[in-house]
Amino acid sequence: MRPGSEAELAELVRVANAPFVLRGGGTRGIGAVGPGEVLETGGLSGITLYEPGALTLVVKAGTPLAQVEAALAAEGQRLPFEPPDMRGLMGRSGESTIGGVVAANASGPRRVQAGACRDSMIGVRFVDGTGTVIRNGGRVMKNVTGYDLVKLMAGSHGTLGVITEVAFKLLPAPEMGATLRVDGLEDARAVEAMAAALGSPFDVTGAAHMPGLGSFVRVEGFETSVRYRVGELTKVLSRFGAVDEADGAVWQAVRDVVPFHGRDGDVWRLAVTPSEAARLVARAGAEAALYDWGGGLVWLLVAPGVDLRARLGVFAGHATRVRGAGGTPAFPPEPAALAALSAGLRAKFDPKGLFNPGLMGAV
Amino acid sequence: MDMPVPDPVILAKRARIVARLAGVLPADALITDPTETRAYECDALTAYRCLPMAVVLPRTTEEVAAVMRACHEEGVKVIPRGAGTSLAGGSLPTPDAVVLGVARMNAVIETDYPNRFIRVQAGRTNLSVTGAVEAAGFFYAPDPSSQLACAIAGNIGMNSGGAHCLKYGVTTNNLLGVTMVTMAGEVVQVGGPYMDAGGLDLLGVICGSEGQLGVVTEAWLRILPKPEGARPVLMGFGSNEVAGACVSDIIKGGLLPVAIEFMDRPCIEATEAFAKAGYPDCEALLIVEVEGSPAEIDEQLARIKAIAARHNPVAYREAASEDEAKRIWLGRKSAFGAMGQMGDYICLDGTIPVSELSFVLRRIAELSDGYGLRVANVFHAGDGNMHPLIIFNANKPGDLDLAEALGADILKLCVEVGGCLTGEHGVGVEKRDLMDVQFTREDMEAQLRVKDVFDPGWLLNPAKVFPLYVTASRRAA
Amino acid sequence: MQTNFTADQLAIPALARSNEILRSCVHCGFCTATCPTYQVLGDELDSPRGRIYLIKEMLETGRAADARTVKHIDRCLSCLSCMTTCPSGVHYMHLVDHARAHIEATYKRPFTDRAMRFVLAKVLPYPMRFRVALLLAKIGRPFARLIPDARVQAMLDMVPKRVPPVSRNDDPQSFAPLGARKMRVALMTGCAQKALNTDINDATIRLLQRMGCEVVVPRGMGCCGALTHHMGREDEAHGFAAANIRAFMAEVESDGLDAIVINTSGCGTTVKDYGHMFRSGAEAEAARQVSALACDISELLVRIGLPQGEAKGLRVAYHAACSLQHGQQIKSAPKDLLKRVGFEVVEPADAHLCCGSAGTYNLLQPEISKELKARKVRTLEAKAPDVISAGNIGCMMQIGSGTGVPVVHTVELLDWATGGPKPRALTEV
Repeated sequence: MRPGSEAELAELVRVANAPFVLRGGGTRGIGAVGPGEVLETGGLSGITLYEPGALTLVVKAGTPLAQVEAALAAEGQRLPFEPPDMRGLMGRSGESTIGGVVAANASGPRRVQAGACRDSMIGVRFVDGTGTVIRNGGRVMKNVTGYDLVKLMAGSHGTLGVITEVAFKLLPAPEMGATLRVDGLEDARAVEAMAAALGSPFDVTGAAHMPGLGSFVRVEGFETSVRYRVGELTKVLSRFGAVDEADGAVWQAVRDVVPFHGRDGDVWRLAVTPSEAARLVARAGAEAALYDWGGGLVWLLVAPGVDLRARLGVFAGHATRVRGAGGTPAFPPEPAALAALSAGLRAKFDPKGLFNPGLMGAV
Repeated sequence: MDMPVPDPVILAKRARIVARLAGVLPADALITDPTETRAYECDALTAYRCLPMAVVLPRTTEEVAAVMRACHEEGVKVIPRGAGTSLAGGSLPTPDAVVLGVARMNAVIETDYPNRFIRVQAGRTNLSVTGAVEAAGFFYAPDPSSQLACAIAGNIGMNSGGAHCLKYGVTTNNLLGVTMVTMAGEVVQVGGPYMDAGGLDLLGVICGSEGQLGVVTEAWLRILPKPEGARPVLMGFGSNEVAGACVSDIIKGGLLPVAIEFMDRPCIEATEAFAKAGYPDCEALLIVEVEGSPAEIDEQLARIKAIAARHNPVAYREAASEDEAKRIWLGRKSAFGAMGQMGDYICLDGTIPVSELSFVLRRIAELSDGYGLRVANVFHAGDGNMHPLIIFNANKPGDLDLAEALGADILKLCVEVGGCLTGEHGVGVEKRDLMDVQFTREDMEAQLRVKDVFDPGWLLNPAKVFPLYVTASRRAA
Repeated sequence: MQTNFTADQLAIPALARSNEILRSCVHCGFCTATCPTYQVLGDELDSPRGRIYLIKEMLETGRAADARTVKHIDRCLSCLSCMTTCPSGVHYMHLVDHARAHIEATYKRPFTDRAMRFVLAKVLPYPMRFRVALLLAKIGRPFARLIPDARVQAMLDMVPKRVPPVSRNDDPQSFAPLGARKMRVALMTGCAQKALNTDINDATIRLLQRMGCEVVVPRGMGCCGALTHHMGREDEAHGFAAANIRAFMAEVESDGLDAIVINTSGCGTTVKDYGHMFRSGAEAEAARQVSALACDISELLVRIGLPQGEAKGLRVAYHAACSLQHGQQIKSAPKDLLKRVGFEVVEPADAHLCCGSAGTYNLLQPEISKELKARKVRTLEAKAPDVISAGNIGCMMQIGSGTGVPVVHTVELLDWATGGPKPRALTEV
């Protein structure tokens, strides 16, 4: 089903009594969903409001991400959080939608400096499980009026409602960027190098480590400023190894986890305390690893069916299986008290259990 | 402003409740004498006052949990309080409620520079978080004007912002995790020293929930490396409109100063008297701050100066020294307090789209004339977060009502132009009855459901945020 | 903040003044952050904002003070850190003074409390009585542990090892300047200070003479009144103040005075407030003149200008007395002078916090005072100083009782650096 308007969607949900599998572009959904009828948001498309002078964008959920990015680029602006393209990693085709990005709280390398997708979101409209249209937040940058359901909807993977429209705050696109590379660092050492860069005052907007390919640090801004910071960061990093400048294209590889493309196995995503990352990777026995966010985000490629959580044991953070199947759930299990709160929210927002049954913990 | 009728059942068993609290707390952590609870009858919003049944000042998460369990079992309402600096009456008590103050819980639990976080007890003041890490070259970014005194607990409750959030975001963007005690007395950890939630973003909805979902006792906060330097520049303009247009042009120009602050004449004069920052004699003043190395600062300021020049500033002065920069900010951060020298005031907090700045300022001036009350404006212009201060005389009968009516009109104006009631202070009791200007019943209902899940008995700070008619059935249940 | 006084109440000058102060408070809470007792106790009631609230209620209702209110007002150090912080210009000092007088007038303290305060009020401001008391206490100290009252123990603990002989410099007289006379100044010789430490006045006189001042010790001068004033004993305090005003005015009217120099900053704050104390009544003009002439020794030295000195290789931790930094808002003068004559100057963290001395506070509130002392000593010692300097005898005694680092008056260092003798505390090390 593909409603053409928010009202049509609301009515559809209001009368529904069988579950739906929500779908934006179908490029980044994780975990086993269903059964249920596919409900596409692609019919809700278009930019509602774009005010470059106020750094504000309001856009319907089914709008293709590419269309959004093109509109912003035309005004020299961008989404701050650098949303990844997951098609290569997930082996899917199709057109990513902004609603899907939001539902997954999908954020790229710049998350370490500019925040996640949820941090750029300032407003949301969605249809809850009773078919009611709910509005939260707005189109202004600072807004603490009432509870922040905007954050709650970000990363909810379509379990609380169908997002129909999202408002973002934007950033001016920088004049230029530059990337530094340090070669040949062991993982733990690479994390230390990234921590040194991120702990410096030089406003690093990306810090990633791709074993075998090098460790990378990015700065962006006005040209004189970028050149200055490249110089300073070179000094910071040179105690870890030889530093040279690399092509900025590496950030797309990091963002989209390109080194894993075309390789078999399950893909896991770890949110961890950076200084713990290398130890956990060693414990994981992975076939490949990629560190982003200075080590706060780790992508792992492991043999199919491996219960990575069992291997890792207890740690501060969580592991999500992004690709693959198996006995253990894709989403990280929560402690009982939090699981009860999450289940309670889901029951309140979707009392009929219509949305993405089976996803994100038990329904 | 109405508050619910106190629950007679609770009032009747006051002695029993006090005895239970005394049983779980050290003697100096429980205050019940009306002479002493008086000091807790309001926060920084003094227009509304009410003595609570008791005040508790626990020192540990365990003590908080014990208090919450006791209150939960007895059906007693709990009003969480940080440092009591809310301008929205966020910690206004009711006679049948216990005020739970976390000010004594102010320890630093852990600092971790390689992973760039600090873990603190939630009663720690905002500025002292930065104080704990600045020797290592770090800072905690959100900087509400009350940062000297306000507690992290309250910052999380209200999702506080500050002057520098144009670049660094507000509390929610700098909060990694919390330890929270639920109304039932259960201790939960949400998030932690890592980025992004694994399941639903509970942390995102806890932050800014005004103490209605739980009592936060500890927090993991993101700390950032201090920039090499920062330099504010003062720009004076002949009118509010011209200053507003200049703000818009700076943002359009692809620059992202860390702060753009706006003051109008009444505010300039009051703050100058306190801080002696050397503010120029003008109708509207902008403080624009940029960061970086000296060369980077020069480059950005050159671009900003070129933009400002198009608007014929009557004054343009870059801070020449660290000391001057400090004084410039001291003036801005003391603005609310300094306003106290002009009279009593109500401080509003609506946000508007930046593009509406000139129009809204003009309308505020018209409304101000209509009501015959002075309005001073000081606000974060970069993100459209207005702070009109309505000056009135609290000792003159009827003046408060008049000021509140003007305030309501200004906030409605903010909503009409596409903005909101509150950008960083929170709704509290102050803007509670205006919520239906911004939200439909359904919009509010969705928010109430969240509270239903966290606090099914509606005992935590229940008479705040939402109009009483909206929450009546839940509070009665 | 809204207040509720009747027209009749507002006709009383003291209440009118308090109403004015209360009206300027916006209850923002900034003051809580820099209040030493709030830092230690974490209760709104032990913060300026809480006390203002207690005072407001007490004065509005006109009721007699009660034990709970008294407890929290008594815990106030009167360090006035809150006044430095307050963006609304709330004159907390005058408000708390009013409250203390109201307490003294309407509240009957427990017997031991009254006895203690009576003794303090009748001994401390009188150098001879105090000197005798110190000598007696030295004899009594070995028995201190037998006395259950922590306050009495605190008193005995504070007694210095050495009680100096009376200095004849403190007698009424005039000291001629070395070289041409640039100024004629009166020195307030203090009360408790000259019983505890005679070096401070000696150093002050030498230094001022060297800088071309005729230094007069006026006849008829006594305690400034602060000790009794802070206990709410208004009549006694005003008696002291009136005597001083007469003594200083006699000098003004004879040969004229360019300044009244005070080297105990606690006294300085009070003398500078004489104008307010006697704002209505016959002494008003004289009191105003005395207040206008009063200055801290560091203020006067900045005005005179000290010669630049060679680097001494000595690290001085400067402790800012509350009465200087908050009461008189003198912040940089002592540090600038020390640097100018050649010392390396460092400052402790949280320099705005009180050391816990605060007049008789260390004797009346020993627990809080001890905690503040420990914090202050910790932050001072963290700077690894060779010597600690302060501009107030109370702070010197308090800090000196908690550290092995020598503690001297700022003026002793300045005197030494410009040709005077090495301070005794440094020669004894």
